[in-house]
Amino acid sequence: MAKIHGMMDIGKRAMMNSQTALQTVSHNIANRTTEGFSRQRVEIQTAPPIVEGNLQLGMGNRAAAVTRNNNPYLEKQLQKEQGQMGLHQGRADSLRRVQEVFNEQVNKGLNQYVTDFFNSFRELSNNPESTTSRTMVKETAEALVGDFKRLDHQMTEIQKDLDERVRNEVEEVNKMVKEVASLNEKIAQVEVQGIPANDQRDRRDVLLKKLNEKIDIKWAEGDTGMVNVSTAGNAILVSGLDHQKLETHENPETQRVDVFFKPTDSVPAFNITKRISGGSIGGSIQVRDTIAPDFKDKMDQIAYSLAREVNRAHVEGFDRSGRQGQAFFELPMEVKGASTNLAVSQGILDDITRIAAGATPGAIGDNTIANVISQIQYKEIMDDGTATLDDFYNSQVGRVGVLTQRSIKSAESQENILKQLGTIRESISGVSLDEETAKMIEWQRSFDASARVIRTADEMLETVINLKRY
Amino acid sequence: MRVADKMSYNQVTGNLQKNRLEMNDLQNQAATQKRINKPSDDPAAAARVLTARTEERGAKQYMKNINVARGFLEFTDQSLGELSETLMRAKELAIQQANDASSSVETRVTVATEVEQMHSQAVQIGNRKLGERYIFAGYKTTQMPFDMSGEYAGDDGDMKIQINKDAHIAMNIPGEKVFLGRGLSEDGLIRSSAKVPKSTEDVRQYKFDEKQRKDFNQEMKDEPTALRAPASTTRGEKTYESKTAPENTGTNVLGVLKNFEIALRVNDKDQIQQAIDDIDAALSQVVQARAMVGSRVGALNAATDSLQKSVVDSKSTASNLEDADLFEVVSDINKTDSTLKATLDTSGKVMNMSLLDFLK
Repeated sequence: MAKIHGMMDIGKRAMMNSQTALQTVSHNIANRTTEGFSRQRVEIQTAPPIVEGNLQLGMGNRAAAVTRNNNPYLEKQLQKEQGQMGLHQGRADSLRRVQEVFNEQVNKGLNQYVTDFFNSFRELSNNPESTTSRTMVKETAEALVGDFKRLDHQMTEIQKDLDERVRNEVEEVNKMVKEVASLNEKIAQVEVQGIPANDQRDRRDVLLKKLNEKIDIKWAEGDTGMVNVSTAGNAILVSGLDHQKLETHENPETQRVDVFFKPTDSVPAFNITKRISGGSIGGSIQVRDTIAPDFKDKMDQIAYSLAREVNRAHVEGFDRSGRQGQAFFELPMEVKGASTNLAVSQGILDDITRIAAGATPGAIGDNTIANVISQIQYKEIMDDGTATLDDFYNSQVGRVGVLTQRSIKSAESQENILKQLGTIRESISGVSLDEETAKMIEWQRSFDASARVIRTADEMLETVINLKRY
Repeated sequence: MRVADKMSYNQVTGNLQKNRLEMNDLQNQAATQKRINKPSDDPAAAARVLTARTEERGAKQYMKNINVARGFLEFTDQSLGELSETLMRAKELAIQQANDASSSVETRVTVATEVEQMHSQAVQIGNRKLGERYIFAGYKTTQMPFDMSGEYAGDDGDMKIQINKDAHIAMNIPGEKVFLGRGLSEDGLIRSSAKVPKSTEDVRQYKFDEKQRKDFNQEMKDEPTALRAPASTTRGEKTYESKTAPENTGTNVLGVLKNFEIALRVNDKDQIQQAIDDIDAALSQVVQARAMVGSRVGALNAATDSLQKSVVDSKSTASNLEDADLFEVVSDINKTDSTLKATLDTSGKVMNMSLLDFLK
């Protein structure tokens, strides 16, 4: 008797387990496209057998656990590489814009304005008496000053955009940090019962990868399955169930948006901007705080040196009416900011005859100073007298090109690495419809057969019950 | 290796993306005909393209400069040609009037009137203008250099024109030198100052030297007898236009004509004979100036040739660096196009296959 009941019991449990397996299959199929999903399996084991006399009888199966197919080391590697990609892409995106500022392949740029400026002095030297060539000098000088301003302005605009980007991405980081903390809680709740929290863990893995893509994080998992996440050295974003937000404020000194961390409510927030070295935020900050200011500084040097040299020669000269030459440019007080502050001096704007072409007073055809000024183009006045204006500027164009090219290449190769790792991950954790379909058929058959077992048992029982009637 | 669905989808989208990107880039190259559209396409070449373009613009400007200078020098040459013709005629007259057989007091008075005309013609030549500029006035191009008495109001400035990166050429000859024979170099030739100030430091030195020279020349002019070159000034030390020693003073062309006229009027046969020699000297001074002008024009022509070559060179350098090889681009486009088609074709097949299709 016990055996017929046993059969029924085994059949019932097998049917239930088949359903469990089929539900898992449908869960897999449903999440075929879900980001970061790891396919799940029901671990079916044999149920504890019973011993009858000298026989050990199997008691069917039992569902031990639903587990996910996942390689945590691979996830960690993916997360690391994703962080690198974030950094390179952040840099490449910003640098692409920086290089457009210096792109003279399509637009007229500083190189051409400088040449035009000096050529206008050559024209003046051909014809020092003429007011036309003086007007030309004034016009090209103003155009040159305008282009210095454009360069500086565009660089500042890029910096401002990057400020905005940092602000938005920090917001995203905060959202993700919050979600990680709440997932921590759920995982701990589930896993304290010894049940793996598959879906929550998948989601948390995705978030950690995305977090690292934005900002360089370090994380470690504790005994309870909760992770602690920190960034920029010692800024602890998630600690178990608790999480702290990053803040963004404008730094009054630099006028840039900096990232702050507030460990507890009672402690004032401290600036962590300089310590952020990875992720797209790190990339943006690098371009905004290091590369862009450096290029701005180089442009300032060009503007300042050019103005200083032109002025030095110009004051030695005499203008059309024999007056001693005055400063041609309003020389900025310091090198910093020279490209925005540079201007053609008001005296010359008001009266072009004040442009000094000659070295002798009252000699209107004297073109000595015009020659000297036009010669400044070929003088090594930059970089402690080792480079001409043209050399210096062209090498900066080359430099921005190299930086951009390198960042784009790094981002591309990083993308390839990620793609490869992603393929490996999918190979382990990804859902295959063929596979799931086969499993589905397998479990369906198993379900059918188990039902048949119950029916057989039922028929057997019926036979036993009917014994008495005959 | 196990193949999951996402792998093939990712691969398909990845490959398509890659092909499309390549196609996009090639199409951009074909449309712009440029290989470099932004510095990162080839940083080193992008910087060199800029250098080549600066060279090209510089060369074009120098060619413009040269055209201005050539016009100026050719006009100078033409004017000096007229002056030498005038002097030649004067020489003929002098030879004619120098012996009593072919001339008399009356003819000499008549000829004197003609010579007077010649003198004023020579002055007019000295006051020639090209456009708005007096060509023989040195730097003082807006001031008439000679008055009827032959007094010079210009200066001895040489208008230097840049003809390439580091060479300048003077496009004028100051009237003082060719007409009055003042400020010639020690060997009696007309030269432009050898050095062109190229920096502000040079300008300061130049201005200082110029002032010294002018003072010295003024001194010479004021006290002709007291003129002796300072013992310390030797040939080797001189950087700029030499301080003119008195024995090197050339011929005053206008003065020669004036003297000849006076000699004719006062019927002074000795002086008329002297005028033949003087006119010869004047003539050789003018011819020598024309030779100088001619050699400068020659230098300009040579410079033009090399500049034209340099423009072509710069252009081809830039073009080699930045222009796309159209044949290559088109063949690459075809290649990418067929790759893209193949990708689409195989993708369609892979993505359509599933076990589900066989379980109907």
